[in-house]
Amino acid sequence: MAATHAQRSTREIFTTLEYGPVPESHACALAWLDTQDRHLGHYVNGKWLKPEHRNSVPCRDPITGENLASCPQAQAEDVAAAVEAARTAWENWSGLPGASRAQYLTRLAKMIQKHQRLLWTLESLVTGRAVREVRDRDIPLAQQLLQWHAVQAYTQEETLAGWEPMGVIGLILSPTFSFLEMMWRICPALAVGCTVVVLVPPGSPTPLLLAQLAGELGSFPGILNVINGPASLGPILASQPGVQKVTFCGAVEGGLRLLIQESVWDETMRRLQERMARLRGGRGLDGAVDMGARGAAAHDLAQRYVREAQSQGAQVFQAGDVPSVSPFFPPTLVSDLPPASPCTQAEVPWPVVVASPFRTAKEALAVANGTPRGGSASVWSERLGQALELGYGLRVGTVWINAHGLRHPEVPTGGCKESGSSWHGGPDGLYEYLRPSGTPARLPSLSENLNYDTFGLAVPLTLPSGPEIGPSPAAPYGLFIGGRFQAPGARSSRCIQDSKGNLQAYVAEGGAKDIRGAVEAAHQAAPGWVSQPPGARASLLWALASALERRESAFTSALERHGVELKTAKVEVELSARRLRAWGARAQAQGHLLQVAELRGPVLRLREPLGVLAIVCPDEWPLLAFASLLAAALAHGNAVVLVPSGVCPIPALEVCQDMATLLPAGLVNVVTGDRDHLTRCLALHQDVQALWYFGSAQGSQFVEWASAGNLKPVWVNRGRPRAWDQEAQGAGPELGLRAARTKALWLPMGD
Amino acid sequence: MGGRIPTRGSRRGQRARGQRARGQRAGGGGQRARGAEGPGAEVAGPAPRGTGAGRARRSRGGGTQEGLGGGELGVEEPATAAVARAMSARNLGTELDLSWISKIQVNQPAVLRRAEQIQARRMVKKEWQAAWLLKAVTFIDLTTLSGDDTSSNVQRLCYKAKYPIREDLLKALNVHDKGLTTAAVCVYPARVCDAVKALKAAGSTIPVASVATGFPAGQTHLKTRLEEIRLAVEDGATEIDVVINRTLVLTGQWEALYDEIRQFRKACGEAHLKTILATGELGSLTNVYKASMIAMMAGSDFIKTSTGKETVNATFPVAIVMLRAIRDFFWKTGNKIGFKPAGGIRSAKDSLAWLSLIKEELGDEWLTPELFRIGASTLLSDIERQIYHHVTGRYAAYHDLPMS
Repeated sequence: MAATHAQRSTREIFTTLEYGPVPESHACALAWLDTQDRHLGHYVNGKWLKPEHRNSVPCRDPITGENLASCPQAQAEDVAAAVEAARTAWENWSGLPGASRAQYLTRLAKMIQKHQRLLWTLESLVTGRAVREVRDRDIPLAQQLLQWHAVQAYTQEETLAGWEPMGVIGLILSPTFSFLEMMWRICPALAVGCTVVVLVPPGSPTPLLLAQLAGELGSFPGILNVINGPASLGPILASQPGVQKVTFCGAVEGGLRLLIQESVWDETMRRLQERMARLRGGRGLDGAVDMGARGAAAHDLAQRYVREAQSQGAQVFQAGDVPSVSPFFPPTLVSDLPPASPCTQAEVPWPVVVASPFRTAKEALAVANGTPRGGSASVWSERLGQALELGYGLRVGTVWINAHGLRHPEVPTGGCKESGSSWHGGPDGLYEYLRPSGTPARLPSLSENLNYDTFGLAVPLTLPSGPEIGPSPAAPYGLFIGGRFQAPGARSSRCIQDSKGNLQAYVAEGGAKDIRGAVEAAHQAAPGWVSQPPGARASLLWALASALERRESAFTSALERHGVELKTAKVEVELSARRLRAWGARAQAQGHLLQVAELRGPVLRLREPLGVLAIVCPDEWPLLAFASLLAAALAHGNAVVLVPSGVCPIPALEVCQDMATLLPAGLVNVVTGDRDHLTRCLALHQDVQALWYFGSAQGSQFVEWASAGNLKPVWVNRGRPRAWDQEAQGAGPELGLRAARTKALWLPMGD
Repeated sequence: MGGRIPTRGSRRGQRARGQRARGQRAGGGGQRARGAEGPGAEVAGPAPRGTGAGRARRSRGGGTQEGLGGGELGVEEPATAAVARAMSARNLGTELDLSWISKIQVNQPAVLRRAEQIQARRMVKKEWQAAWLLKAVTFIDLTTLSGDDTSSNVQRLCYKAKYPIREDLLKALNVHDKGLTTAAVCVYPARVCDAVKALKAAGSTIPVASVATGFPAGQTHLKTRLEEIRLAVEDGATEIDVVINRTLVLTGQWEALYDEIRQFRKACGEAHLKTILATGELGSLTNVYKASMIAMMAGSDFIKTSTGKETVNATFPVAIVMLRAIRDFFWKTGNKIGFKPAGGIRSAKDSLAWLSLIKEELGDEWLTPELFRIGASTLLSDIERQIYHHVTGRYAAYHDLPMS
C-alpha cells in the first residue's frame, strides 16, 4: 500500500519487487499558502480582497484532514464588489479587438506553464486527486484551452460577426469540481469578451491561484474574479445588476454504469477484475497511484451505496492496492443488481462501477437512453458498424467509440436531459457567451409578483360574445393533433375578434389533456422524421412553401381582417414561404468533421434534433413568426407542438390544412387556447424536450422556472418583440443553434 | 506448465495426443547434452534429453523423477544445467487451434492509450529504484550481434555478464551475495563456441543464447534455417532465438507458420526456443496477436518482440498485445510462456517501465528470468551508472565503470 511503507532495504525489495512511495513534494503549494498567511480571501479586481468579520471555513487536506488555510465566506456585499469589478472591466475588455484578447489569453497560458508545478501540487493537495492526472492531463489541457480560445478571439470579428459578448458571467462551481471544469467555462467567456465572477465553494484555493496568475498579468484586472462562498449565494450573484448569465458547473466524473453483452459477460468480467486488481490507490500526491481519494464524504457515499447494493442482492467485487482506511475506497465492481432495485436508479458514486448484462444492441440502447442523465458514454466493440449505430443512437452529448474520457478544446462537450444543455469547447461553447448583436441586455430583476403556483392555472371561461356578422370565414375549427383536426377535450371554444372588434371565428379551447395528446402524437412521429434524410425533409418544407403560395389570397385576407395592410400581408405570406424554403435548404448542411491533434481519427460534430419541441409563438406576425419557427424546428428534425398567435391564430390553422396532407401525421401539432394555460401545461410536461416561448416577461420567467424540472433547454424572449421580418432575428443563425443539439462522436482509428 | 508437466507414468497416454516433441524427448537416455562435444546432436534435432529438463520439471511440481541425476550437477556442469535452473520447463505446445485466433481483433487506439498510461503511472524511486534496477540486470540477455564480433569482445561480454555491476556497489547495497548475473548472453551462431568457452573459463553457468534461422530476415531456405539451429545447439547454445517467416504471417498462412515453428522446436531439442516475431514487420497489432498465439501453440518457450534490426523495435503497444496473448494462452492451457522485448531498450528508465509493464499485465509471477528477458547491449552500463549514482550520490565518469 502506497501510504504505509515502512523503511525497506534494497535487499528486501530485490526479492519482493514491490512498488514504493513516490511522493511529490508539495512544498511550493504550502509556500504559496504561506504568502497569504494561510488566510485566503477573494481575488477581485486584480487584488486580494480580505474583508473583516466573515465566517471562515477551513481548507483541509482531504486525506490527512490537516488544516491548510482558512477561507472567509463571502457575503452579499463581497459578491456585489466582485460583480462591480467585472462590470467595470467588461466595458474595456469587450471593446478590445479580438487580437488583444488573444494576446492576453496566450500570456495567461504561458503564465500557467511557468507555474505548473505549483498548480498541480496545490490542486492535488486540496482535492486528493492523483497528481499524475492533474499534471499530465489537466494542466496541458488548461493551456490548450487558453491557446485554442486565443485563436478564436483572434478571428472573432470575422467568424463571429453579428454576435456580441453578453457581459458579466456568473459561474458557480459545485463542491467537488476540478479547476479544469472552471477553465472550460472561463476560456470561451473571456475569449469572446465577457468578464467572469466565479463563486467557488469554500476551501478551494486553485481557482484563487488562477485568478491571481491572471491578475498578475496586470493589464486587465477584474476580468476574472473569484470569491469563496456557499452555493446559497447563487441567487444573489444572479440578481446583481449586470450579470447576464449564470452557469453552474457540476461535479467531477462520478461512478460508471457498464453494459456488457451476455455472450461476452464472463470473459469481460474476468478481464475487468484482473485489471482492477492491479489498480493502486493512495495519497494523491504519490506519483505512482492510479486513484487518489476525494475526502471522507465521498468515501461514505460510496460505502453507503455499496452496502445498499449488497443488501439488495448485488454481487460486490473489490480489489486493488488501496489503503483500507477512510477516505480511501477501493475500486468496486457491482453486478447482479436486480433491475428494479433502488440502487439501479440511483446515481453511481465514484469509484464504483455497476455492470449489467444485455442481450442485443437494441436493448442496450434502450437501457442506456432510459436514464435521466445524458452526459457522455463510450461504446466498445470490434464491429465498427454496430458501434456507430449505437453512437448515433445514444442520447448523450459525447460518445467515444473504443475510447473513453478524451477531451479537446476544439470538440464541444455538453449533454442533454438532466446533464444540462450547455456546451463547453468548440464553436458551441463560444455561443454560450454571445448574443446576436442588438439584442437588449438581460435585466437582472425577476418579478417577485409572479406566483409560480397559479400562473396559467385557471382556464378562462368562454362565453358567446356578440353576433356573428357576415359570411363565415370557414376557418377550420378544432385542434390540429396527430395530423387531423380534433375537438378539444374541454369541448369549449374561444372567439377570435378581428381588428374592428367583430367576431371573426371560433377556435378550440385547448387544455392539459390536449397538450398531452399532442405531445404523444409528436413522440410517435419523431423517430420517423429523424430518420428521414435531410433532402427528404427539405423537399417537404419546399412543398409546404408552394402550398402557402398557392393559397396566398386566403392568407392575405385572413391577415387583412386583423388590420394588416394588404401590401404588408402579401410580404408576410411571401416571406413565410421563403423561410420554409431557406430552412429546407439549410437542413442539408449540418454537422461537420473536426480533426483533433492528439487523436488519430476524426471527431464528428453531429447536430441532432432536440426531440419533441414545444413552441409558443408570438402574438405579432401571426403567419411569419409561426412559419419561421416551424421551419427551423422541422429542418433540424424535431417534432413540434405549437401554440399559435393568441390574437390571430387563423393563419396558422390555415397552414395546418396544408400540413394535414403534406406532412406525416403527428409531426406538427397546433393547439389553440389560452396561452398562459397552454404554456404552463407545456413547461410542466416532463416529456417535452425543449421549449421556446415568445410572449410576456412573466411567461418567460415562469417557463424558465418550470423547465428546471427536467432541465429542458428553453428559449424565451422576456416579453421583448423580435423583428421577424428581419433576416437576423427572423431567420438568423440563432434559430439554427437553438433548434438542434450537438453531439461529439469520437472515432479513433487504427489497426 | 501446471498440469501439463509430463511424468513417466503419464507419458504413454500423452503420446497419443501426437505431441511430437515430447515423444522424441522420451527416447533420450541418461546422456547429457554437453556443449560443443554433445554427441550426434545434428540428427533429428534434440541433443538427447538429460537431467536438466528433469530437474526443471521436478522443480515445477512434476512428481516422479526425483533422484534422476539431481546430485550430478556440479560446477563444471555445462550450460544446459544452468538453463534448467534459469528457465521453466519446455513449452510442449498444443494442437493448432485456429479458433483461438480467428475471432481476434485488436483495438489499436485502446492499446495505444494503455501504453501511454502505463509509462506515466508507475514510477519507483530511491531504494525501490535501485532494487528494481538490480532485478532488471538479472533479466538481461546481454547481446552482441555485430558483423565485427570476435572472440575477444565476446569474451569481454561474457565477463560482463558474470560481473554486471561493480562489486563494491553491490556490497554497499548488501546484495553482493545474491550471485547477480545477467540472464544469458546472446550471440550469433558462429560465436556460440567463443561464448561457451569464455563462460566456462569464468566458471559461470550463464546460458548462451544464439540467434538462428537466417537472423534477422529469416529469408533463407527452411533446410538451412533448421540446420542453423542444430549447429548452434551442438556448439552449446541452450537458448535459440529464432526469427519467424514474416511472409507466412503477412499472407495469413497460419498452419504453415505453426508447422515451421514446430520444426524449429524439434530442432532445438532441449534448448529453449525463443521465437522472434519481428513485430515491426507484421503490419498490424492483430497480426502480432495471431503470430504470438501461433508461436505459443507451436511450442515456443518465449516470444520475443524484435530482432533489433527492424526499423521499429520493442514498443509498448506491441508488448501489450503480446502480453495479453501470453495471458490468454495461460488462461486456456495453464502454460506460462516467457516474454522478451528486444531492440531499443537502452536506458535504465526504460527498463523500469518494462518491469512495471510485466508486473501490471501479467503479475509478479512473470518477473523471473524464467519468464522475462530483456534483450539489450548498452542497457547494462546505464543501469550500472544509475546504481553508482544511487550509492555514491554522484554521477559516474566514463572511466569509473568497466566497459562491457
